Amino acid sequence: MLFVKNYDIVTPGEMLADEGVGGSGTYTEGKKIFSKYLGTVMLNKDWINVSQLNGAYIPKEGDEVIGKIAAVEGTYWAVDIDTSHYCRLDAREANTGYRVEDLSELMDVGDVVYAKIIRVGKDLSSSLGLRGGRYGKLPASMLIKFNPMKISRIIGKEGSMINLLRERSKCDILLGKNGVAWVSGDKIGMEAVLAAINVINEDSYTGDISAKVRDILERYSSQKNGVE
Amino acid sequence: MYEERFDKRQFDELRPIELETGIVPNANGSARFKIGGTEAIAAVYGPAEVKPKHLEKSDQGIIVCKYDMMPFSVPDRAKPGIDRRDMEISLVISNALSRAIMLDEFPSSMISVYVYITQADAGTRCASLTAASMACADAGLPMRDLIAAVAVGKIGDSIVADLSKAEEDYEGGATDIPIAFLPSKDEIVLLQLDGEISKDDLKKAIELGRKEASKIYELEKAALKRRFMYESKD
Repeated sequence: MLFVKNYDIVTPGEMLADEGVGGSGTYTEGKKIFSKYLGTVMLNKDWINVSQLNGAYIPKEGDEVIGKIAAVEGTYWAVDIDTSHYCRLDAREANTGYRVEDLSELMDVGDVVYAKIIRVGKDLSSSLGLRGGRYGKLPASMLIKFNPMKISRIIGKEGSMINLLRERSKCDILLGKNGVAWVSGDKIGMEAVLAAINVINEDSYTGDISAKVRDILERYSSQKNGVE
Repeated sequence: MYEERFDKRQFDELRPIELETGIVPNANGSARFKIGGTEAIAAVYGPAEVKPKHLEKSDQGIIVCKYDMMPFSVPDRAKPGIDRRDMEISLVISNALSRAIMLDEFPSSMISVYVYITQADAGTRCASLTAASMACADAGLPMRDLIAAVAVGKIGDSIVADLSKAEEDYEGGATDIPIAFLPSKDEIVLLQLDGEISKDDLKKAIELGRKEASKIYELEKAALKRRFMYESKD
């Protein structure tokens, strides 16, 4: 029997069902399924899932992240992506074609890098890769921190929200799954994106958020036209 | 004979409770728990790299707890810093929390829990533990259950719940028993005893503790959810 409805908020230890299959964010004892997190219930055909409302980012293979170079070592960079351990970005990932004596010529401490997690060790230490895509050093621009559990709301259904942000603000936006967004564009556009992401971050649990975001973007674009 | 409590409560009645989460902006999770004249504020940071390094466990995470009473929390000024009593309570809190948090999901990591007592009127370790477990849930840590803790005891010949400082110091003799439960698992994660009590009375006291803890548990759940409910936002 199921004790919860879809989108119910549950606390750790709350019993969800006494039969069936527990998905992510749940654990089973005997036949009973309990929630592991403070989160919302997501039911699908076969599984009961609980998606977290709050929490720190745990690295997963294949995730795209934005980090800061924390240290330059002999053959690798140590990158801070806001997790328990620094990530290792090997020198050979930066495809230079020639041998570099000092890695800080390519990227120095404090530089922002967009990369993909290629390996997560047993102790949650992870390695980054730069092969493919837009991965690499990012030019200095605005960085926005947000709750990593809210990333799906910022992307929206099939990317609807992020595309809306990109189109209306005319900004280049990159999202890191570790809860960092990199935004580049003109000043008013960047301010609009900041305001919009903050709104999503603060109250994405209030239901439909796209109207609110549209409103913010509208306000900023009218401001921009006023200046011109 | 202790027939009526100093503050006119029923023998099984708790003092008024206030609960709140998300009060420390810089922490990953935080909570405030107030019961009568006792107030605890808990903040949770992590998972982070283990420091000092020799504490690290390669197969599971560790919890490091710091319990401290603020200088102004008691009538006689408490000396700032960790004394022997604070060390003991820090230890029992981290032991109890390690039963609730699924530490095997954070190998080689450390979770730091800071608990500060801003007002003390007996039952601080129970208040700390309740606040700490709510802060952990607020920080999004995987947990088997929340912890609900309550002090029960025997004053004169009566079994009572949630003792105040005046009751602990009752001249006819008082026994203080802090108990912490994982209510939905019905497991005891903390049981201490200060005083004298017979076997039968101890059983009665634990039974009373279980009943009171389940009341606190319901309040905890409501407080955690309240922050994310649309209705209560304004």
